[in-house]
Amino acid sequence: MITGIVVGLGVLALSVLYVTWTAGRLDRLHARVDAAWAALDAALVRRAAAARAVAAALPAGPEAAALEHAARVTLDVGPHGREALENDLSRALRGALPVLPPDADLTELEQASTRVGLARSFHNAAVRNTRVVRLRRLPRALHLAGHRELPQYFEIDDTTVPH
Amino acid sequence: MRVGIACPYSWDVPGGVQAHVRDLADHLIALGHEVSVLTPVDDPDEADLPPYVVPAGRAVPVPYNGSVARLVFGPLSLARARRWVREGEFDVLHVHEPTVPSVSMLACFAASGPMVATFHTATARSRALQVFGTALQPVLEKVTGRIAVSPEARRVVVEHLGGDAVLIPNGVDVARFDGASPLPGRPAGPTVVFLGRLDEGRKGLAVLLEALPELVRLEPEVRLLVAGPGDAGDVRAAVPRSLRDRVELLGRVSDADKPRVFASGQVYCAPNTHGESFGIVLVEAMATGTPVVASDLAAFRRVLQDGRAGVLVPVRDPGALARALGDLLHDRARRASLATAARSAVEAYDWRTVTAQVVAVYETVTAAVAPAVHVEVDADLEVLAALLDDGDEEDDAGRLVTTLRRWIAERPRRERVP
Repeated sequence: MITGIVVGLGVLALSVLYVTWTAGRLDRLHARVDAAWAALDAALVRRAAAARAVAAALPAGPEAAALEHAARVTLDVGPHGREALENDLSRALRGALPVLPPDADLTELEQASTRVGLARSFHNAAVRNTRVVRLRRLPRALHLAGHRELPQYFEIDDTTVPH
Repeated sequence: MRVGIACPYSWDVPGGVQAHVRDLADHLIALGHEVSVLTPVDDPDEADLPPYVVPAGRAVPVPYNGSVARLVFGPLSLARARRWVREGEFDVLHVHEPTVPSVSMLACFAASGPMVATFHTATARSRALQVFGTALQPVLEKVTGRIAVSPEARRVVVEHLGGDAVLIPNGVDVARFDGASPLPGRPAGPTVVFLGRLDEGRKGLAVLLEALPELVRLEPEVRLLVAGPGDAGDVRAAVPRSLRDRVELLGRVSDADKPRVFASGQVYCAPNTHGESFGIVLVEAMATGTPVVASDLAAFRRVLQDGRAGVLVPVRDPGALARALGDLLHDRARRASLATAARSAVEAYDWRTVTAQVVAVYETVTAAVAPAVHVEVDADLEVLAALLDDGDEEDDAGRLVTTLRRWIAERPRRERVP
């Protein structure tokens, strides 16, 4: 009888420990997703700014106008619908490459595009790690993630500058 | 930037990961970053340690992944790792091979904040990941940026840890190899160079020795220059008596002599049979300007750009190897054009290029926690400049206000950056 109670209490204590630990782990994972998103956001803004600089260097024409427009709308948009607009920007950049003046400086655009690739890879890895833990039965049943939305992957085609 | 690097294997034992960490640290310091390396050291009194190395104790030999690794683990080492992290005040922590039970894993365990991990191993089944995979996950998921040195290593990361890693190849110090002079006092004549352990079957020396009689028939003056540790007697026994004077055995060569060994040959031969994940020796030979004939393995094909920067031959085919070597020894123009192609191919592996990519990773992971000041401000300034240029004034006002708002909102975070 006594042994039963002791074992029961022990199991209870262990499960409480496990649940608090999992909640802390989820908290850390969400912080990682937030940080990764902030980095990705900064990289995308930097790319759009570089694209505008490239657009300004283009001879006036449909390509320059398309690039200028695509870069500007990505700077204004919030997180929703952003993937499609960033894809438009990638496409506008590819369209602009043939009409670039030969002396155009693409260094900043190349660096910015590289960082978009890095930030996107790190962001999606963070999202993946978080989703794996969140979608388990226990965290879902106990609402361990609180009111946080399930983090979403950010998928765009970011191959703009040929290397 | 203040960078803390954790290396899991003993600093004073030669190895690929250690060499990678040393070169990375040297190049980061050359760029003006502050670096501290935490690593096991077997003999701290004997070892000639660079000033940035912090010894983490003596390593214990442990059979691991089919070979013997020298590792440190346990509460004392964890306390050391913790102290190193606390006193280092790093902007970014860079752990190498965090799945190996050693210093890197401990540092990962002890720290939080911007963390980068580099995965070197291409072994599909890592013992630690197999046994402790699930238990390791909470530790490894602290890592904010993952780097793999080869597509094979990247596959291991994706399969075992979930999520992607960015590909940054191993670096080679191209300037150290380019323009090296040949070893002195060697007989003149066409020479084929081999470098690697003599007794390690997968390096393929046996295939090259088997190709030798046919090669001598095609090019009667040819000599083999073989460098690497192993039993010289076994090598001689594998060569017909009449051809033994064609094989020069150098034994183990120092890092300083390596460029001169490559420069002593007209062709470098890599007859490896399997198990190569990168091919750093090929890159070194190419950096020297010595044309390469190599087995058609995935890793080698990548380095040789599908045969544009070197000659690929079928694996374990002594006849084809002899013909390829003979053809190339007879064709001076082809050797020159391959050397040119190889020199431009190795630029991607130059430590300067590689270090710049690693720094971009550091900047990306720190941008999230403490934003990299110059980068974002630059970007914003360009937005503002473009706005003021485009003449559309009504639209400008709104954008200007938005940008300034974001600046102000982010200002306190930026100022924390030293």
